[in-house]
Amino acid sequence: MNDFDAIVIGAGNGGLTAAVALQRGGAKTLLLERHNIPGGCATSFVRGEFEFEVALHQLSGLGTEDKPFIMRKLFGELGVLDKVEFVQEGELYRMVVLNEFDITLPASWVGIRTTLIENFPAEEKNILAFMTLCEQVTLESFMGVPQARKMNSAEMLNKNCKNFVEYGLRDAKSVLDEFFENEHLKTLLAAYWCYLGMPPKDINFSDLAVMLYAYGVFKPWHVKGGSQALSSALLESFLDAGGEVRFNCSVDKILTEKSSDKPAVKGVRTEFGETIACDHIISNASTVVTFTELLDTPILPAGISQDFKSRDLGTSAFCIYLGLDCTPAELGIKNASTFISNTTDENLMHETMSTMNPPVATMLTCYNVDDPSFAPPGKTQISLLCLQYGSVWEDIPVEKYAETKYEFAQHLINQAEQIFPGIQAHIEEVEVATPLTMMRYLNTPGGAIYGFKQNPEDNLLFRERYDQVNGLHIAGSWQGMGGFQPTYMVGAATAKAIVKKVNAKKAAQQDQVEMANV
Amino acid sequence: MSNSTNILESIKGYQEGLARKSEREKTGSDFTEQKGKTAHEIAKLHPKRLQLKVSDIFDDTASTKTFRFKSMNGVLPPFQAGQYINLYVNIDGVETARPYAISSCPTKRDYYDLTVKLVDGGFVTNYLLNHVDQGQLFSATSPMGTFYHNPLFHGDKLVFLAGGSGGAPARSMIESVLNRGLNMEFHLIYGNSYESDVIFADTFRELAAQHKNVHLTEVISRPTEGYSGLTGHLNAKLIADAVGGVSDKTFYVCGPTPFNEFCESQLKSLGVENKRIRIECNGPPKQPSCLENWPQVVSEQDEVMVTVQGRGEFKAKVGEPLLNSLERNGYRVENACRSGECSLCRVKVIEGEVFNPPEAHLRKSDKDFGWVHSCVAFPTTDIKILY
Repeated sequence: MNDFDAIVIGAGNGGLTAAVALQRGGAKTLLLERHNIPGGCATSFVRGEFEFEVALHQLSGLGTEDKPFIMRKLFGELGVLDKVEFVQEGELYRMVVLNEFDITLPASWVGIRTTLIENFPAEEKNILAFMTLCEQVTLESFMGVPQARKMNSAEMLNKNCKNFVEYGLRDAKSVLDEFFENEHLKTLLAAYWCYLGMPPKDINFSDLAVMLYAYGVFKPWHVKGGSQALSSALLESFLDAGGEVRFNCSVDKILTEKSSDKPAVKGVRTEFGETIACDHIISNASTVVTFTELLDTPILPAGISQDFKSRDLGTSAFCIYLGLDCTPAELGIKNASTFISNTTDENLMHETMSTMNPPVATMLTCYNVDDPSFAPPGKTQISLLCLQYGSVWEDIPVEKYAETKYEFAQHLINQAEQIFPGIQAHIEEVEVATPLTMMRYLNTPGGAIYGFKQNPEDNLLFRERYDQVNGLHIAGSWQGMGGFQPTYMVGAATAKAIVKKVNAKKAAQQDQVEMANV
Repeated sequence: MSNSTNILESIKGYQEGLARKSEREKTGSDFTEQKGKTAHEIAKLHPKRLQLKVSDIFDDTASTKTFRFKSMNGVLPPFQAGQYINLYVNIDGVETARPYAISSCPTKRDYYDLTVKLVDGGFVTNYLLNHVDQGQLFSATSPMGTFYHNPLFHGDKLVFLAGGSGGAPARSMIESVLNRGLNMEFHLIYGNSYESDVIFADTFRELAAQHKNVHLTEVISRPTEGYSGLTGHLNAKLIADAVGGVSDKTFYVCGPTPFNEFCESQLKSLGVENKRIRIECNGPPKQPSCLENWPQVVSEQDEVMVTVQGRGEFKAKVGEPLLNSLERNGYRVENACRSGECSLCRVKVIEGEVFNPPEAHLRKSDKDFGWVHSCVAFPTTDIKILY
């Protein structure tokens, strides 16, 4: 008799969601977290009078109360909808390329169209065609493609998903080039590449189309109390359902036994040497740590080595959390999300991510524009972020780490000051996180924040779910895409499949008991 | 996905993607070289535990000793002057810990000095000062805390208001400025009760005499007859007289809690902005019942029952921080600052009430869902907790 039906390693978005869905689905679940708080990336910390949001910039897929979308439904199923308050951002984003252009897109599909046409009247026809394509590709990728795959019908795919077949897996840059002449317009529309970490030439058009359409129609959101509030609500829901959690408890080993074709999990060993038995393990740790360190098999399971060889390490981030003693209005900040760049050249931005050179692109997020409660009265909470690969920080001697961190932070502040002068003079609290900070708190190689590098062929269409060890499941950005919505969704999907198995086993055991009693 | 009937092959670019993937499978790394690397990189800056050995003990004053700690497990991690480590001790079977500011300079990489002043009735300081010998082993957290010079907004005119043991981080900060050759002005205003009990008195005087950018103002609150220096408390006038104008200066305040609160009020009366006042936290409140919002129906001496879900229960004094009574009863809780800030000791209160003083830097969602920082939480009714 096992101690638990399922053990979840890591209380990040994927792990938490999986744990809640498992426990609510009837699987006796233990959640183990090495830190003292649930959330992983989705967390906050307090400095002085400020509680800083760590990672959530724009929550996608929620939809409004009137027109709810997939995430609102999921949060309802997870029992957290009445435990959190969402705050809608009024604008999609402002993009400023210094000395080139400065345009703000509203968070409305119609509003985006109007704004684009106002700014680029010569491209009106192209804008209309492009936005129609984004809408079609999104709808097809959410409905037509999964249906056709389910039916295994190429005919359905070709008939119902014409746009996806034609454009979905082309690189975003070439599609933008096909539709538009104006370089500013292309750069403006490609701004969300940073949520994938790869420049437009290296992402599938479908990913860009889905982000633009989904944020435009279902709006970008923040959470009151930060993403930590959502993480804590998920934990609360897990505990309410009878789940068991241990914080400050990391897993040393995933224990397996030989079974017919491949190894099968039998439990975990914690850092305190305790062995806990279970049928299923959901790892929210990186696949790299899961398979190369946690798993007790002497070599990588068949298939993993091949999969890993086709992967690269994804990007990390450098982030500054600022508490300012002035209002957003005093700094001229009018919307939550601003992309600031020195150049329209996304390839240069991406190349810079592998260096210690001053970043050429910075994202500024101001959390209390849409809701003043994100900062004390009269004050402001902002974050400045640039993507950066972690390896460049691993080479810095430890005794130079602190000063290097502040020097690099100064570059980001300088860039933000070009649009919003006065930020630095108003700092009341500040904390700087480097890729090594991400590594420390996420335990990911290179401090990766989105999992493996999102190469076009890392799209889930090219990948199977990891199933090389019976009972071992992966839930998190390393299974598919990074970011909040994808990791919540993969956690829920992983749990759904396991709940089915757990309940089938229980039914079978019940049958046996009844048979024995006959 | 080598299945030839794969319908996705109809999608333009799909076959090319598959080809790229197989190409990479031939040349890529399987990440086995990453094994252990993440943990190693993290441990270079933030090892979870340090194994330390007392290499030397220096008698500073009648009430104070400096313990020099060397590492038993590799190089000590770097720190920023002003940070602390949380030192674990086992006293008569009770596993507990206390945070102490590092008094040595960050440029000295082969040891940390902890300077410990005896606290009246202090459980741990009494043990350290009276029962610890050279060669003794301890474990500790790596350096932590946010009380240090931050070049992004602190500027280069630093004033340190130290009271008693607050001289420890002050020494680290001064030596850091000097040893790193930073172009900064550093003014230490050092308040102590007795002339005979001033930690690092000679060191500070020498540094101030030798370096133009180091200034020292000594203040004694209980002077002996005939003492000719400044006396009294670090009030607004004394501070203003010592440092001149306050604008552009950043003030660091470290001492006993009443000292910190008094200094803060004086700095504010001088018009110093919030952002230019950095105060080091200093343990749980000694008399929580004197604080605002304390429930008047209970006194600190009352006893309540603490139930740890699924593990057991014990009686605790209302006036003792929950973390301390947990430790006293054999429950291990992660902790570091023991002052309400770092949040490592979070526990969830499932039933009953606790008093959270202003020291508790709780998150909004902690308040919503009943999580408290046990190091500064006082159970005012029978409680049931989970952690």
